[in-house]
Amino acid sequence: MRTRSLAQSLPLIAPVHILILSVIVVPSIFVIWLSLTKSSFGQAPTWVGLENYVRVLGDPAFRGALWNTVVIVVFAVHIELAVGLAVALLFASGLPLRRFLLVAVLAPYAVSEVIAVVMWRFLFDPDAGPVMLALQALGLPILDWSFEPTHAMILIALLTIWLHLPFTFIILYAARLAIPGDLYEAARIDGATPLQAFRRVTLPLLGPAIVVALLFRYIFAFRIFSEVWLLTGGGPARSTEVVAVYLYQEAFSYNAFGPAAATAWIMVAASLLLAAGYVLLLRRQVAGNAH
Amino acid sequence: MRTSRLLIGAGKAVAVTALLFWSLFPIVFIVMSSLKPGQEIFAVPPVYVFTPTFEHYAALWSRWGVFFDGLLNSTIVTAGATALAVIASTCAGYIYSRGSGRFLNASVMFLIIVRLIPPIVVTLPLFPIVNAMGLNDTHIVLMVLYATFFVSLGTVLMRTFIDQIPRELDEAAEIDGAGRLTILRRVIVPLAAPGILAVAVFVVVFAWNEFLFAFIFTATRAKTAPLVISEMIGSIDGVDWGVLFAASTVQLAPVLLFVVLMNRYLVAGLTAGATKG
Repeated sequence: MRTRSLAQSLPLIAPVHILILSVIVVPSIFVIWLSLTKSSFGQAPTWVGLENYVRVLGDPAFRGALWNTVVIVVFAVHIELAVGLAVALLFASGLPLRRFLLVAVLAPYAVSEVIAVVMWRFLFDPDAGPVMLALQALGLPILDWSFEPTHAMILIALLTIWLHLPFTFIILYAARLAIPGDLYEAARIDGATPLQAFRRVTLPLLGPAIVVALLFRYIFAFRIFSEVWLLTGGGPARSTEVVAVYLYQEAFSYNAFGPAAATAWIMVAASLLLAAGYVLLLRRQVAGNAH
Repeated sequence: MRTSRLLIGAGKAVAVTALLFWSLFPIVFIVMSSLKPGQEIFAVPPVYVFTPTFEHYAALWSRWGVFFDGLLNSTIVTAGATALAVIASTCAGYIYSRGSGRFLNASVMFLIIVRLIPPIVVTLPLFPIVNAMGLNDTHIVLMVLYATFFVSLGTVLMRTFIDQIPRELDEAAEIDGAGRLTILRRVIVPLAAPGILAVAVFVVVFAWNEFLFAFIFTATRAKTAPLVISEMIGSIDGVDWGVLFAASTVQLAPVLLFVVLMNRYLVAGLTAGATKG
């Protein structure tokens, strides 16, 4: 019976695993080997040990790219979380036309990075962009994003927040809806102010959802490529490059597959580290709840 | 008391207006600009009342035939990737829901860990391999790539949705002599339809909009619509913003409509995917 059921099960799970093994796992392992060799198109690879890692980690362009990536991850993801949380609480406080508003907030989820770049590029066009004109009219400083790297980074961060706010919002809103209403009732009867109820009921119970949303967004923001590539191409003078753009340049512009592969594994290692931190946090939370 | 309630109401109204503006203004502005007559796109201050014209759509049609080829390629790739991902995830999700044992548990963990690998990593070895196999610039490469990067999430999602279907139903069917495939087709699929739709929403939106893989693995024959639009931006000195807005609107409209219609499944999928996967 058991062997029969395994024989019947395998063909059904096989397609998923064949796809993942052949497209993701085996190529990723191959990238480890690639990262330890020196190779480029049409050349036989030669073993160089950790030389590529040393070269990449010592490359000022890589360090700049890593710094930019970390800045985007730290700023964009946390601002996004704060806004997402505020919007989730706004929805939970009761709104008219809730379904319509929900769909409106979800809308950017449907927008391709390419189209988002078209939109934001025009909104922030120095000559005719409506946002630029509004900033000027209010006497505020404008974003000189095509020349000023910091301004370009601000625009990239805004763009990425715009694209991913729906995700963060939905995770937090669903978690907020799952908190039983009696808890707020009890807090109110005990004389808690709304702020106290937020700090003592909402925040602790949203903890796991916040951690999940943060983890997903850290990992995905760390891979950011299209927004940067299409908005600035990493320029001016590589000043807005992020790690994925650095990897792409090494591999496909300079044919340096070894350093590109080393960069790739640095990216994987960073994602694994983040996830390990997450598992640790969840464990601690579970242990904390048990007491 | 009354004034404080009024204040809260006013505060909420301001917050909701700001939120709507933030989410919808970029979309509305681009669609509106695609309908503005030539020079009014750059009018300072921006014009909000104008006589709509389809001149940019006509120009798009006559000058950018390659964009419409791109739309066709996007449609083919999206359909193929979605079918592949949905079928593979449903089959695997069924087994993961009903089965147990060390092997299955370990392989679920594996499915989750795989999601940590950034897509750009696999382009390095796949690029030469795809070239060597002569599959560069074909629909099939994109279909397989897009489906693969969603089958792990898809499987976990389908397992969650199938878990909610009572086992007694498949047991009853089994007593009646139905095999696994029959149970899957006749019992599971109809009842797990919301899950299937949730997985489909993810893959459709991703495949229709994806840029990185299309950029690396296609050149002319299988070029998707986002890639053609990126080339329109690329020719920035001579960029015709009107045509660019028209193309963006055409690319965006179907997927936006799809997300609006399927919003319930998208919300269900996002929630289940984040908590279980």
